[in-house]
Amino acid sequence: MAAAISVVDLRRTYRSRKGVIRRTTTTVEALRGITFSVESGELFGLLGPNGAGKTTTIKILTTLLLPSSGSARVLGFDPAKQAGDVRHRIGYVFGGDRGMYDRLSALDNLRYFADLYRVPVSMKRRRIEELLELVGLSGRERERVETYSRGMRQRLHIARGLVHDPEVIFLDEPTIGLDPVGARELRDTIASLHAAGKTILLTTHYMYEADVLCDRVAVITNGAIVAAGTPSHLKSNVVDRTIVEIEIFGAADGVVDRLRAIRGVSGVTVETREQAELLLVQSSVGPEIVQALLRELDSSTLGRVITREPTLEDAYVELVKPR
Amino acid sequence: MIRALVTGTRLYILQFTQNAFDLSGVVLWPILYSSIAYYLLGAKNDPHLLFSAAIGAAVIAMWSLVAIGSSGALENQRWQGTLELLVAAPMPLAVSLAPITIANGVVGAYSLVATLTWGTLLFGVPLSIHSPFAFAIAIPICAFAIGMFGLVMAGTFVLYRAATHLGVATQYPVWIATGLLVPLSLLPGWVRPISWVLAPTWGFRAIRDASLGGHPWADIGVCAILSISYFVLAMVFLQTFEYVARSRATLRLT
Repeated sequence: MAAAISVVDLRRTYRSRKGVIRRTTTTVEALRGITFSVESGELFGLLGPNGAGKTTTIKILTTLLLPSSGSARVLGFDPAKQAGDVRHRIGYVFGGDRGMYDRLSALDNLRYFADLYRVPVSMKRRRIEELLELVGLSGRERERVETYSRGMRQRLHIARGLVHDPEVIFLDEPTIGLDPVGARELRDTIASLHAAGKTILLTTHYMYEADVLCDRVAVITNGAIVAAGTPSHLKSNVVDRTIVEIEIFGAADGVVDRLRAIRGVSGVTVETREQAELLLVQSSVGPEIVQALLRELDSSTLGRVITREPTLEDAYVELVKPR
Repeated sequence: MIRALVTGTRLYILQFTQNAFDLSGVVLWPILYSSIAYYLLGAKNDPHLLFSAAIGAAVIAMWSLVAIGSSGALENQRWQGTLELLVAAPMPLAVSLAPITIANGVVGAYSLVATLTWGTLLFGVPLSIHSPFAFAIAIPICAFAIGMFGLVMAGTFVLYRAATHLGVATQYPVWIATGLLVPLSLLPGWVRPISWVLAPTWGFRAIRDASLGGHPWADIGVCAILSISYFVLAMVFLQTFEYVARSRATLRLT
């Protein structure tokens, strides 16, 4: 298969200036030389925390941003120099509330973008009907977008991005802020696009989503790719680990450091829950580590304690944790 | 391309009409203009004065709508995340943005017709137009030319985030330089050549001459030539400014 997207040593630096008399310049390196490729028909996930460089990468590939150096190709065209050739072959969908004419109906929005993408008149009506069906908005297309739920807006975004039947689709955190049902429906839509043979580049920080949908993923943090491969490959990096989840109420100061110091513990992260905190302990010595952990937490009030196999999220946390 | 222009113009006019505040302004302003012409400027005794005053006021309003309305609309596009989508579309950016300025010009044209209509309905001023055909052509061509002039400025609106401030800042200079506020004969000689390249100058003359008698076709022709020139200039400007915006990452507010 030919690479639909290829990125080689891509870099992007943002410069912002402040002040009139004392002018100061701030420089941020958003991308520090990333390299990856996406095969035709592949669903590729770009994972990373906020500010890692995912959106910057997508914006360069969708012609909205120029790289500082390095090269990128989308279907053989350079997004920096051949923007026109790239634009009518790709679809770009981003997450969140924005990106629509809210006072207008979904139908008006889709008609306008169909004309902007030069969809022939003979195909426009049928194409819009198909898309409304695909994203489950048939029958609601004449309502104003401002009356839509977030999930409906996001599905309309997908329809807008597909109105010209693009070969490559860029989805920038499409499920952000959606409720679980809305997110699941959207994942189903993305899966059906993948099944239809579309090349998709998906950015997300929801590991479950990447695990379920993506053929391959790359983990990006601080503007650099730190791992790439299939979700199973990434999980294999932590396959020898056991994950112990400990629910703790009112963790004492220094408890995390004490757990990290235990022989066999390779990492500890903390997630704050409503009334408790969840300690996620990665261990390379198997379930027997639990005894040592509980001994160290002797004076704390504990809730549920379970051991489990590592997930993609555990592999991701291991990759992006500060070193 | 034509289809995108027509659909886009319809969409922005439709969007405009969905906002009760914007809509009420468009309905009320013409009544205000016709009242000013009737009572303040003495149109009561000189029906022709209503035409002149209404046309002047409406062309002023047209330019305000294009300058402020378009810059505001572009700022909204940036806020609502659609500016990036317009840039990412394969259509030249000038074609994607032209409907915004044309739509504002069309609303301005409506304002002119409404001012004259209210003058007739409320104050009984006779609606006598010297050349109805030229008048019917002059209004849309004036609206279109002013819209295209706004499109030339749209490049700066794409580049800078404070688009509305720029739009407001261009209002008075254009009103003055086109002789809409003060007769050009009262201004220094160097202002006159500036007025020749500004669409409102010729749009006002075309509508006035079509209404009150004169040679509107020459003015209409200049409006048409200016419209084409503006569009070509806007294509070049927007291509350049789009490149700069992609380089500086200013297309979206996050």
